Amino acid sequence: MNRPTALIADDEEGMRQQLRSRLHDAWPELQIIAEAANGIEAVALAGQHQPDIVFLDIRMPGLSGIEAARMLFNRCHLVFVTAYDQYAIEAFEQGALDYLLKPVGGERLKTTCIRLQSLIGQQPSNIERQLSQLLSHHSKPPAKQEYLRWIQAVVGANLRMISTREVLFFQADEKYTRVQTEQSEVLIRKTLKELADELDPDEFWRIHRSTLVRVDAIVEVTRDLRGRQMVRIRNHPQLLEVSRGHTHLFQQM
Amino acid sequence: MKKTKLAQAGLLDIIREVGETAASVWWHFFDWLAQVEWRKLVIIWLLFLVLSASLFHINEQIWGFVLASFGLKVLAGGKRKAELEARNAETHADEESIERRVVEARMAALQAQVEPHFLFNTLALIGQLIETDPPQAARIHQNLIDYLRATLPQMRAKGTGTLGRQIEMSRAYLAIMQARMRTRLAVSIDVAEEMLSATFPVMMLQILIENAIKHGLEPKIDGGRIDIRASVDGQMLQVDVIDDGIGFNAFAGDGIGLANVRERLRIQYGNRAQLVIEAPLTGGTRASIRVPYAPDIFHGTSK
Repeated sequence: MNRPTALIADDEEGMRQQLRSRLHDAWPELQIIAEAANGIEAVALAGQHQPDIVFLDIRMPGLSGIEAARMLFNRCHLVFVTAYDQYAIEAFEQGALDYLLKPVGGERLKTTCIRLQSLIGQQPSNIERQLSQLLSHHSKPPAKQEYLRWIQAVVGANLRMISTREVLFFQADEKYTRVQTEQSEVLIRKTLKELADELDPDEFWRIHRSTLVRVDAIVEVTRDLRGRQMVRIRNHPQLLEVSRGHTHLFQQM
Repeated sequence: MKKTKLAQAGLLDIIREVGETAASVWWHFFDWLAQVEWRKLVIIWLLFLVLSASLFHINEQIWGFVLASFGLKVLAGGKRKAELEARNAETHADEESIERRVVEARMAALQAQVEPHFLFNTLALIGQLIETDPPQAARIHQNLIDYLRATLPQMRAKGTGTLGRQIEMSRAYLAIMQARMRTRLAVSIDVAEEMLSATFPVMMLQILIENAIKHGLEPKIDGGRIDIRASVDGQMLQVDVIDDGIGFNAFAGDGIGLANVRERLRIQYGNRAQLVIEAPLTGGTRASIRVPYAPDIFHGTSK
């Protein structure tokens, strides 16, 4: 009879060694036919060697263990391995997914091995739904992630990354957009329209055709002699005009 | 009957309103008088005098106004002005100190986060090394102790440390990460001896290094290298953390760490310090902290 085979995927060599030696103690017949150091390698080696079982670390470069699992679940039995992964462990405890906590060993590993022994030769269960759930948990946080958080500006010979948290306001300046922070002023090629689309609308308000202002940098809104609303910005002398179409923003203030 | 009562009530309301308005106008006038500069006041008097004499011929009342406002300004103005200024300064100071305290509390809370993922993985590694390589296990164990000892009490300790101390702490962290990532992580630290005693804020270098590894190098399949450099240009000390990792994602959050560094620099140094993040053309990320250079002038003489 053929000996059962397994693949171990973990980006840390020490952890692969540990799992290999503990598996050897708990289940001597199990043959470790390959080791992978990242998710992509894991999928490739699993395709090549067709193991019965794949042990997948969750955090790996290339593809995470969960992403790799989505490509492997109907071909082999999967066991996740993690040292600490709040979201994943919560999900594992509810679902039908098998998992081990590092350092692996003891009774927990024995239980898993016994379960796997009974599964060898059977079709792996369909865990696609659990994996999708896990994946959506894992790529947290779902909200607010898609907004632009860094402005790229060429300063000297370098591309500087300016956090949007530092920006007081953006102002259109002919072909360019001026990015004003407390400490610097740079020009970028991105148009105000593009910025307005990409930035978090709760973080920056359009107060004028040519001005986007950071909401929590606003100190006060006053009226000038001509009755125009003017916004005063923290730590910056320039007053910014609010155009007629945008005065509703400050109605309650 | 009813009608007259209503009329009476209406009249009372009107009188009360007029009274209130008059009082508020009077206090506004009083505040204005207390705070207006003498020079301006004199000019206003002159204007009034000229206007009233030439247009309305009501000299007496104007002289009355001038004298009364002069008297008020002399007698009560100074006190009132001081009162107003004191109140202004008080609210301002209150706001500032509250803001400061809130920020400090928030910073302390943020600094307290030793990442559980890091801690558990390091403990798992130590467990493995105890079986396979006990001397290495002991070294990593010691590094973890150094890291925790430096990180945990500093949540509470405020103020600044030295650059040397910050580098020492980072070495412990880097040694642990090298033990975990093995050949995937190369480290070089290039800081001149005389800069080690310079003042440098706590936990900032650490945050930049952790970011470089976590976001730049760990997700990269082949790993890479991290360079830590310090240089002095004029009055400023610049510390760079450079990695050749996967680079910056403009849509990824700023992260608690960098916001923490930026905020603390602002509180401690105002506009004299800076956190700069750059994406060099060669790839990877360069994070630099610039603070005023304050070398320990007694360094070297005591030895």
